[in-house]
Amino acid sequence: MNGFAPSPQNSPPLLVVDDLQVSFDTADGAVPAVQGVSFSIQRGRTLALVGESGSGKSVTAYSILRLVQPPGRVTGGRIWLHSRREGDIDIAQLDEKSGLLFKVRGGLVSMIFQEPMTALSPVHRVGDQVAESILVHQDVSAEAARRLTIEMLKKVGIANAARCFEQYPHELSGGMRQRVVIAMALVCRPELLIADEPTSALDVTIQAQILGLIKSLQRELGCSVLLITHDFGVVAQMADDVVVMRRGRIVEHGPVREVLKSPRHAYTRALLDALPSRRAAARRDRSPGQAVVGK
Amino acid sequence: MPDHSDRLVPFPSPAPPPAAIANPVLAVRGLRKYFPAGRRAATGEVVKAVDGVSFDLAPGESFGLVGESGSGKTTVVRSILRAHAPTAGEMLFRLPGGRVVDLARLSDRELKPVRQHLQMVFQDPFSSLNPRMTVRDIVGEPLVIHGLARGAELDDRVADVLRRVGLEPGHRMRYPHAFSGGQRQRIGIARAIIMRPSLVVCDEATSALDVSVQAQVLDLLQELQREFQLTYLFVAHNLDVVRNFCDRVAVMRAGRIVEVAPTARIFTRPEHPYTRLLLASVPSPNPDVAMNFNVGEELAKLDSAPA
Repeated sequence: MNGFAPSPQNSPPLLVVDDLQVSFDTADGAVPAVQGVSFSIQRGRTLALVGESGSGKSVTAYSILRLVQPPGRVTGGRIWLHSRREGDIDIAQLDEKSGLLFKVRGGLVSMIFQEPMTALSPVHRVGDQVAESILVHQDVSAEAARRLTIEMLKKVGIANAARCFEQYPHELSGGMRQRVVIAMALVCRPELLIADEPTSALDVTIQAQILGLIKSLQRELGCSVLLITHDFGVVAQMADDVVVMRRGRIVEHGPVREVLKSPRHAYTRALLDALPSRRAAARRDRSPGQAVVGK
Repeated sequence: MPDHSDRLVPFPSPAPPPAAIANPVLAVRGLRKYFPAGRRAATGEVVKAVDGVSFDLAPGESFGLVGESGSGKTTVVRSILRAHAPTAGEMLFRLPGGRVVDLARLSDRELKPVRQHLQMVFQDPFSSLNPRMTVRDIVGEPLVIHGLARGAELDDRVADVLRRVGLEPGHRMRYPHAFSGGQRQRIGIARAIIMRPSLVVCDEATSALDVSVQAQVLDLLQELQREFQLTYLFVAHNLDVVRNFCDRVAVMRAGRIVEVAPTARIFTRPEHPYTRLLLASVPSPNPDVAMNFNVGEELAKLDSAPA
């Protein structure tokens, strides 16, 4: 595995989303969910998409894998993946049955879902589920797939990987399941990893471990990460750049440090000010010496 | 055997002595709740979900109970509300007249009148409201159950409390589906405070809400606390919310309280190593404050260290 070096500014970004439009058909006409969203991700970098429920952040991410289900549909825009392995691909224009889309999904671009229990099949062994993505995307024997799977399970921090291979998801804790989901997503060495609220369902000490794991594997494998989250703490600790979405549009876009420290848009400011820590700071400024019950 | 090697395993830790508080609304002493251990129950094996928990709630305070899944915080709450009977311990609850009852010992019949002073706000604003009842019926139901109001008086009191939580009284004949998540949580709060309870248990009351809505609901809870002198037992896993809502915090792990202290002290000078790890795991929205990604190893060290 070649080590990752920061990409020079002049190399093309890995992913360029240009003027993406997604709408949902309803009895009352088409409801726009994403309206002209554009952003790009450099190789090896992490971009966070933040916003509240209904902002369009998940629909944007799902569009990249062409996973928007009817009545939703992508109605416009381009999704360029400048792949090292397969060249330049406009994912938005790919035919639903094309072999290239098949390669994109789980091969060049893979996804970690929020709820590890629903992302895993309850009736298949953990190892077989991870090995399946190898067998689908690579021309290797079942024995080699098993070896690669166990190697990957070790990489995601599962101590007894050979035993884990034989287990079913219900035998694992939430944190272990999310490790398996990460193994499944990274075993084909994707160029882009989409993580949709990867730790929202986890306890805070487990969240810290999973975030650390994503970070170190990203460094090791050199992939880019698109992180969907509503948690500005996760954004601050994980991402290089951030896109703030509201009602299907981008309201602010920039380096994490800049956006979090001096947000330009009123909505970003309002979101940050709604964080309990910031509210407390604001309250303390107004009324110093708040009474505390107890000793 | 499930593989829980990245999970918390119990470690021995002395329960801290309860702080001396005059006339506590609730004094929990040595609370234990054991459950039969699934398939191994036949051998008499038990899961010690809560294993000797003691704390006091001062009148008018917000007391935070934090901990990760499996720490026992929900079992503590369910014991206090007597959703199940505790295995051992006392839960001394002060009624508005000053009489103190032990919630652990009351019969179902004795519990009913006590329950009006002990209300709950639930986590999920969707499943906690009956979709087939109007808002008026949902919010007024406690008054009807306890036979405290009917007819026009019931209507007036429901309208009053809806206004108080920031909802339009004119909307009381609507059903829950007509309201947003934040509005539904206000309905749940109205249902709890219509009884003018002395203790309100908020079990992850804002966890399901977006951050801007969460801020509004927390503000509302604080206004109501001032107005009605409510005491809150605030169960949460979001330490940031607890830090800014609660006066004191108890940190639970593996069925025990590892540390109780005023909120400012817990967050600035945590004493127990587990509290320190828990705080270090929280991703800070300030990019200059680094989080600890290696908590796994440190937790393991904590568990293997002699008590």
